[in-house]
Amino acid sequence: MKDRYYAGFMQEKPRWMRSLADLRGRLFVFITDAIALIYLWTMVSYCSNTFMFHTKSFVTLPWWVMLLVVIEATALWENFGVSVGMKLLGLRLTSADGSAPSLGDRALRYLTWHFSGLPLVGVVAAKDGQAWHDRLSGLRVVGAEDVETERYPWYRRSWSIALLVLLIVTLVTAMLVTRVDFVKFFTGAPKTGRIWRAFLSPEWSLLGDGIRLLIVTVFMAFMATLFGVLIAVPLSFLAARNLTQGLIGRTVYTIVRGAMSITRSIEPIIWAIIFVVWVRVGAFPGVLALFVHSVADLTKLYSERLESIDPGPVEAIRATGANKLQVIIYGIIPQIINPYLSFTLYRWDINVRMATIIGIVGGGGIGQRLYQYTRLWRWSEAGLLMLLIMIVVWMMDYTSSRLRARLG
Amino acid sequence: MADHLVVEHLTKVYERGDVLALDDISFSVEKGEFLVLIGLSGSGKSTLLRCINRLIEPTAGKVYFDGIDVTAASSRDLRQLRRRMAMIFQQFNLVRRSSVLTNVLSGRLGYVNPWLSATHQFPHSEIKMAMANLERVGIPEQAYKRADELSGGQQQRVGIARALMQTPELLMADEPVSALDPATSHSVMRYLELMNREDGVTVLASLHFLSLARRYGTRILALKDGKIVYEGLPSEIDEARFKEIYGEEAEQVEVH
Amino acid sequence: MAKRPSRLKSTKANSLLTRLGAIRPRLFAFLLDWASWGYVAYAVMFLINRYWFVRYVNFYGTLTLPPWGWPLVVLATLELVVLSHAFGHSIGLSLFGLELLTHSHRFPTVRDRASRYLWWHASALLLPVSLWRSGRECLLLHDVRSKTCMVPLAEVKDELPVTKPRPWYLTNRGLMTVALIGLTFWVGWLTTQINLQRLFSRAPKSAYLWKALVTPDFEHLAMPDPELKDSIMGGMLESIFMALLATIFGGLIAFPLSFLGARNIMGFSPLGWLIFTLARAFFNVFRSIESILWAVVFAVWVGFGPFAGVLALTIHTIAALGKLYSEQVESIDPGPLEAIAATGARRWQVVLYGVIPQIIPSYLAFSLYRWDINVRMSTVIALVGGGGIGRILFYYKGQVGRLSNAWNQVGAVVFTIVAVVWLLDYISGRVREKII
Ligand SMILES: Nc1ncnc2c1ncn2[C@@H]1O[C@H](COP(=O)(O)OP(=O)(O)OP(=O)(O)O)[C@@H](O)[C@H]1O
Ligand SMILES: [Mg+2]
Repeated sequence: MKDRYYAGFMQEKPRWMRSLADLRGRLFVFITDAIALIYLWTMVSYCSNTFMFHTKSFVTLPWWVMLLVVIEATALWENFGVSVGMKLLGLRLTSADGSAPSLGDRALRYLTWHFSGLPLVGVVAAKDGQAWHDRLSGLRVVGAEDVETERYPWYRRSWSIALLVLLIVTLVTAMLVTRVDFVKFFTGAPKTGRIWRAFLSPEWSLLGDGIRLLIVTVFMAFMATLFGVLIAVPLSFLAARNLTQGLIGRTVYTIVRGAMSITRSIEPIIWAIIFVVWVRVGAFPGVLALFVHSVADLTKLYSERLESIDPGPVEAIRATGANKLQVIIYGIIPQIINPYLSFTLYRWDINVRMATIIGIVGGGGIGQRLYQYTRLWRWSEAGLLMLLIMIVVWMMDYTSSRLRARLG
Repeated sequence: MADHLVVEHLTKVYERGDVLALDDISFSVEKGEFLVLIGLSGSGKSTLLRCINRLIEPTAGKVYFDGIDVTAASSRDLRQLRRRMAMIFQQFNLVRRSSVLTNVLSGRLGYVNPWLSATHQFPHSEIKMAMANLERVGIPEQAYKRADELSGGQQQRVGIARALMQTPELLMADEPVSALDPATSHSVMRYLELMNREDGVTVLASLHFLSLARRYGTRILALKDGKIVYEGLPSEIDEARFKEIYGEEAEQVEVH
Repeated sequence: MAKRPSRLKSTKANSLLTRLGAIRPRLFAFLLDWASWGYVAYAVMFLINRYWFVRYVNFYGTLTLPPWGWPLVVLATLELVVLSHAFGHSIGLSLFGLELLTHSHRFPTVRDRASRYLWWHASALLLPVSLWRSGRECLLLHDVRSKTCMVPLAEVKDELPVTKPRPWYLTNRGLMTVALIGLTFWVGWLTTQINLQRLFSRAPKSAYLWKALVTPDFEHLAMPDPELKDSIMGGMLESIFMALLATIFGGLIAFPLSFLGARNIMGFSPLGWLIFTLARAFFNVFRSIESILWAVVFAVWVGFGPFAGVLALTIHTIAALGKLYSEQVESIDPGPLEAIAATGARRWQVVLYGVIPQIIPSYLAFSLYRWDINVRMSTVIALVGGGGIGRILFYYKGQVGRLSNAWNQVGAVVFTIVAVVWLLDYISGRVREKII
């Protein structure tokens, strides 16, 4: 009778499950290494194209050449060294008795891999975690902690050399792509002399106007934050993993989280472009753009905080026979009020910063005017506005961090 | 059914980690008993207590409370049942940022009008009752302090006052004193004893120290790896039994 | 319970400095409350102007205020502050933890409070004398005459009798907070010209925009646009690399600077203090200007293009990372430092062996986080000539009206941005979890 209760729970996992996990591991290693090599290939060809042919292109040879080379290189790497993928999963290649494999065995495994590992048949039919090419070569892949290996210095480990090469190639390509030019950086400096001089003598007659714009900007941030909080607080309960259980709950959780992370990855300025088309230029589209981004950001911050509340009091309130609403009001809300306030202040701070630039695309506030001045090269006026922005942002930053420190 | 609380073939498997925490547990408790659960850390004491009021859903088995099947109760009925079985916790589980009074009043949530309680309004009679219960556990002057300003012993007394608010028939205490020093432990245990003797509340407490179990319990239930390994009177636990429950290396620690 | 010594009974020398120290929280609370009442006055004037005299309202909302109005407003707000301090518990008082008590630490009666309120005026008029004559406890004239004073709540908490706290709607600070939020909301609604009617009435018109955005046209995802000479993927890569370089350059520069901005490293010598203050001021000033504004300057400096964007992002990164890093340095465990200093090591050796090993993981985590932010930022920095994916986005946006599928192209760019930012966010989140 007892067996009926938990038979199946404590049994070993079935074979197909284990071989599926094994397949996943092998695929992960292979794909990671292949991606690293493809990346290397494209970046190197970009660099060589730039240096040798003065063209900008990531591909020179046909794609199938690259694919062939990458597949062979990956297989070679994984058989004759410790690849990045193997390092990530903490895997090593050893012979059956645990000693370091000989070169011949490695070559055998590399050759047999082509009809076992590449078409996947040998891996799917693996027994005890040993694929066909493992058996034929007498080698096996084991966890690094299970084998005693010599510790080589970093320049004799293939994965660390590979990482170094990747880093260097990335840096070189990045500098080429972004056209980093330190000569221009130094020779161009005098051109900005006029700007700095103008900044040092701001146009004070603009002060009144500037303050008015600044007030609008701060109010934009306030309205966006306030509306954002009103929407984000209820949403956060739907986006907290520990509060959304069951099928419906999980679905809601996934939808809300997904929508929020999409919304969050679009900068408020891009949102502002959309809203300017919708409700026309002014402070209102700016508020809407900041509002949308705040909702997404606050929902994320809030719900992460909800996920880390102390479950003890919640359990205690549940044990008194309280219903769901009461559990939220008496067990959860007292725990989150202060963190929520603190996140809100933080977000307000960000919104003030964002509000100063959202005007560039027609979202109102001080940014709109500032952008116009810079386009007209009226740097004295721009300098005054920048000074005002600096003061306000610094003040907001200071008070909000002081208040947040008090909230704890 | 004559018995107050009946547990039949209770089994709990935690999906995460495939842990068999309770393995076919059956026992029953009579009204007015002071039953003490003992066992090593990880033997399943907390799991057992939480399965009884279904803070944790048991995997299989039945729990009957006054003849009502707890495991089959709807969520509405379950709340009615939970009202009648109070619980106190090792880490007190007070809402730290709320006032002591609010914490005590929250023991009454199952009784009051849910919509009224949503606005933090409680009837005057309930507030009076809360003050009376705080009086009973000896800390009426702390009512308006925040719960985390109190010492551990005081916090556990707030936990007891919260349980008292439920006017429970069964009190489950999950290691109520293991976060407290010996002297405070005894004073907290004495409140449990008082509830047991004066109000006739059945007590089901898990304890770490055998000496405490001997002093307060009328019956002892020992768990090991999710199974019952001993059931009987406290006085009957001798050296051999003790070793059986706690393992060979264990030695008795006295708490006075 | 042992009584902590009250500040009132402190035996420090009766210097002006200690007296100023004693009066500081009172002064700050006073100024804060005055500012909040001033803000209320501003908002009320704004609203009066807006609803009574329907005309252009300028920034201080006082277009219609006669010349004698100004002193009136100043005096009225001053009186309100003094009233709220004498008869209630204002926001400033609760923020700075002050409580009005009699000299024997009892709650004052209404008589005491009224007398305090009245005597305050004499005290304020004679402030220099009153300050001069105040003892080491800094009891001003009205404190002495009304036998009440502002006491730091933390010092007397245990002596005070237990009372039931009032509900928020019966306290000065509760009502004031609500008033401040309510007024700000009202005034903000008007200044930012929120117009829900327009939002809804134009919604159908914006439908075509949404329709185009969600049916993206990926024609130029990998194939370069002949006019633009760049593809979406090329632009995205440019953005990612811009962010990467900015993070690396910024991180490298912020690393040494962060030690200069850390209290525990710089110590309390005058020179250390000076460097600390300068470093922190640098971080704060440069952080407060968004990188997009820096890009304006750098576009002039090195010309339009991604390099200007890199430099702009770098400046902002230095400031932001510098602040984060130095806060991290300040929060390290001092134990190992003491141990190393105890071996007779020099200051830089302590930093090298005690500090750096402790901070490396969190530095990496912060840098990754910053890379994330920089990628987001680099998607819009092209607006002012910074290069990156934004260049393509704004190019297509500019083609609206010329190209029929311009919004679809914008949609494709936005989709790409979302996908890449999301992916990077996910990866960097996972890596950060691992590091810390
Ligand atoms: N949420 C959970 N998920 C997975 N396993 C759990 C969970 N909670 C408890 N367990 C496991 O169940 C077993 C019993 O745990 P339980 O907390 O009931 O023991 P206990 O006797 O109360 O121990 P202690 O004296 O330490 O409180 C332990 O092996 C524990 O690891
Ligand atoms: Mg336990």
